[in-house]
Amino acid sequence: MATSPGEPEDILRPILNTSKKYYIAFGIAAAVALLWSAVYGWQLEEGLIVTNLADWGSGGGSPWGLYIGAFIWWVGIAHGGIILSAAVRLFGMKRYQPVARVAELLTLGALSMAGLYILVHMGRPDRLVLSVVPAYPWTVRTSPLAWDVTVITLYFVMTATYLGLTIRYDVYHLRDRLPDYLGPFYSLVTLGYSETEEQIIERMVWWLALGIIVLAPLLLHGGVIPWLFSLIPSMPGWDGGVQGPQFLTIALTSAIAGVIIISYALRWGYDWDHILTDAMFRGLTNWLGLFGLLFLWLQLQQVINGVFAEPVAGKTAMVARITQPYYIVAIGTVIVILAYVFAQAVDQRQFSLVRSLAASFLMLFATLTEKVLFVFEGLLYPHFSLYEAVPGHYFPSIVEFSSLAGTVSLCTLFFLVIVKLFPVVELHAVEDHHDEHEAAHDEEVTS
Amino acid sequence: MSTEDTQDDEPRHPYESEDSFHPLGEEWEDRMREELEDTEYDADLGMQMARDAQRLVAGEISEEEFYAEYHDDVEEEFEADDRPLFDDVDPAEWDDIEDESVAESLAEADLQGDETSRREMMKKMGAGAAFLGYGAYATYDFQPADGAPDNVSGIRPAPKDEREHRWGMVIDLQRCDSCLACVAGCIDENGTSTGANWMYVFTYEDEDSEQENFLVRPCQHCSNAPCAKVCPVRARHTRGKDGLVLTDYETCIGCRYCQVACPYGVNYFQWGEPDVEMSRLEHLDMRPEEVRQLEGGDYGDRDSERYQELSDANDHVYDYRGRWTDSRPPQGTMGKCTMCPSRQDGHTDNPKGTVACMDACDAQGMSAIHFGDLDDEESRANRYLRRRTEVERTVLEKWEGVEDDDLDIETTASPTSEISTFRLLEDLGTQPNIVYLGNEPGPNAEQSEPPTPYEVYSGSNNKWGVEVVDERKEHLDYGPSGPPEQEGEEGGE
Ligand code: SF4
Ligand code: SF4
Ligand code: SF4
Repeated sequence: MATSPGEPEDILRPILNTSKKYYIAFGIAAAVALLWSAVYGWQLEEGLIVTNLADWGSGGGSPWGLYIGAFIWWVGIAHGGIILSAAVRLFGMKRYQPVARVAELLTLGALSMAGLYILVHMGRPDRLVLSVVPAYPWTVRTSPLAWDVTVITLYFVMTATYLGLTIRYDVYHLRDRLPDYLGPFYSLVTLGYSETEEQIIERMVWWLALGIIVLAPLLLHGGVIPWLFSLIPSMPGWDGGVQGPQFLTIALTSAIAGVIIISYALRWGYDWDHILTDAMFRGLTNWLGLFGLLFLWLQLQQVINGVFAEPVAGKTAMVARITQPYYIVAIGTVIVILAYVFAQAVDQRQFSLVRSLAASFLMLFATLTEKVLFVFEGLLYPHFSLYEAVPGHYFPSIVEFSSLAGTVSLCTLFFLVIVKLFPVVELHAVEDHHDEHEAAHDEEVTS
Repeated sequence: MSTEDTQDDEPRHPYESEDSFHPLGEEWEDRMREELEDTEYDADLGMQMARDAQRLVAGEISEEEFYAEYHDDVEEEFEADDRPLFDDVDPAEWDDIEDESVAESLAEADLQGDETSRREMMKKMGAGAAFLGYGAYATYDFQPADGAPDNVSGIRPAPKDEREHRWGMVIDLQRCDSCLACVAGCIDENGTSTGANWMYVFTYEDEDSEQENFLVRPCQHCSNAPCAKVCPVRARHTRGKDGLVLTDYETCIGCRYCQVACPYGVNYFQWGEPDVEMSRLEHLDMRPEEVRQLEGGDYGDRDSERYQELSDANDHVYDYRGRWTDSRPPQGTMGKCTMCPSRQDGHTDNPKGTVACMDACDAQGMSAIHFGDLDDEESRANRYLRRRTEVERTVLEKWEGVEDDDLDIETTASPTSEISTFRLLEDLGTQPNIVYLGNEPGPNAEQSEPPTPYEVYSGSNNKWGVEVVDERKEHLDYGPSGPPEQEGEEGGE
């Protein structure tokens, strides 16, 4: 679908105009977020007893549940997002350049939500700083949870730096067309900017992208997050080195789904059909399929290993997992999505934006379900299963479920604020369209 | 090296030290500098960035400050260099590269450059990795092979010659009849909430035996405790001097990672308000921080001000370091069997070397639980263990008399004792300090109805008037207001 290339005016539109759609979206998101903060206030007051969590063992429950599952899910989205954007920058995948910044913003938003979940999960959030910081030089050697906090901070800093660097260019070049009431913000962002720095910035961004890609298999979902589980000897359902790759595929799948959804919303809201093209969405859909396939493949590895001749505890855990209806629904959903992705890859007529959008929502549902199940199913089937109350019972309470609505709304609010501050599609992306008509047409061919 | 006292005696916080910013000290830093100097980029700048990256992580400076500080330096440092690496690739190849797999693109990029630019690329990658990597060291480090810094404490007991005791239990399962007196004794001692049965007794059936079997399960006070290893704040820790695995209720952030990592399921979180108010447990009229500020002594020091205060009050909440580790936890923190540290530190009316569950068991005339110092051959635990195996050895000797040549019974092939001892899940490497006498539950053992239900000790049958139940979740499901009939009855800390 050849379209006219984007203009800088296009990417400025969200900042200069505010549509009715925007107000409605903002209103709904703010209302839901407020509602949830009231619910969270109640949890703060009464303690975690308002959740359906309980002690494992004689207690008959699961001490971790939806909060940790959602935490992993958000970290996954964040990690996948930044890998996506780094790959675009490092390998010059121009087709996806218009969504590179969306992916970075998604990383910041999702990491913030993950951080929030750490707080929400804790029994004594008031002690977060005073307890964690003084013990840090010791705990960083032994506690996977301390590693997690570290790496999340590190990624947050790296992503923010990265984003800050690329925004300078845009703001500087578009400054005279940006609204004056945000003047101080723009002056701050472009502090000390000179055109000679552009090359250097470009190089620094490349470096950071390299760092992010190099560190990707070690950190976040490639390393510390799966280690939170796989290093623990007590829960056979979490065992195994496969958790690293498994988590990484889930991260990438979820992030691509998230990018598709946000890009769709932007395209719908600002008529960006020519910037966020069908070809780009098709490409993203293909990537969604590829990573979804890897996700299924690693699930299969675990299932086969778990049911063939695994020691008792591991086998019990695996049989419980694959007979759990929610698991079957989640995996079934991924299979259906894959059927669509491959159908549209073979026959382009099968592709539609709305279908890809639906596939993305379903994929996020499937990854979230899998992650929550992974957490509490693992805890319901411990190695030491003499307790009558093992396996215990867990189903998230309304308070826990409401946190999902709350964090999704907060993340939406984050985006709604950002679109008013600076362009969410980088200037380079529309400039490049401008300069290279040829490239824009060639995109049609490769897919 | 002394590893027991993490509160009073801590070496200076690494971030406070001017000479060395790295938690692993100067030597490590030197090595870092050397490696940076091998690159052609400014090592000082790299070191400074790493130093500030640590301050950033510690929250001493903000991200903006960090960025503002290094922006110019980095610009200057890298300006001297030529174009970004990507320019080495012929623009005509752009279209081929886009949308290719990562690996292919890399290969492509590599092939495009001539010799010089490839070497250039390797150099940049090296320096880049070093800078980024040392940034990461700010937050992620590991123990050097040549001896860990001596401030790594709280995970294992001190080596044998440096510790005073290694508290543990010998539990004779053949003497247990599941009267649950120990369970009630622990509740009375510690004021735990409904269903938080720090002491728990299994009744179970096993395939190869007809009779009911019992398994008495306190915390195993592991010498290699996974719960202490994973704690992100060192609230769950091992006292080096005597191996007790305790939770500092003032530091615990309630993440429940210890509970997840413990293979035995002995942890009970304080999900809501405790059933027993603090005022009923606390005999000192002091805040925890005041207790810590009292002049304290070493392990076993009976002259210190803190010891005097604690023992005058018959305190059952603090340990000798003044840390709040005993009795039930406050809301939002983790509890489990403590092995009664206030008794072991000698400031309660009960003698050192006893625990409440053992006292209760003795009072029932069962004497299945034998607490004591497992390092000390003459402790009650070790003496009991010896006697028990001796008795069995006599039986064995009798066997030798009835040896039958026709059956070709080799007495030497028999174990030295017929009564088996075991430690629970020993193959997980936790090094538990509870030794069991009797049968170990097999993989197909199943818990069955206990002869004495837990509920028997409810209400007026315990010191606090709290409800006692076996499965806690049902009780927790009532939510913050508790079960309908006892609504609002109990207050918290
Ligand atoms: S039994 Fe569990 S809680 Fe007790 S020391 Fe061992 S790992 Fe920690
Ligand atoms: S619940 Fe408390 S004691 Fe347990 S790991 Fe978390 S902070 Fe440490
Ligand atoms: S040793 Fe103390 S805390 Fe542990 S079960 Fe016995 S009475 Fe309870």
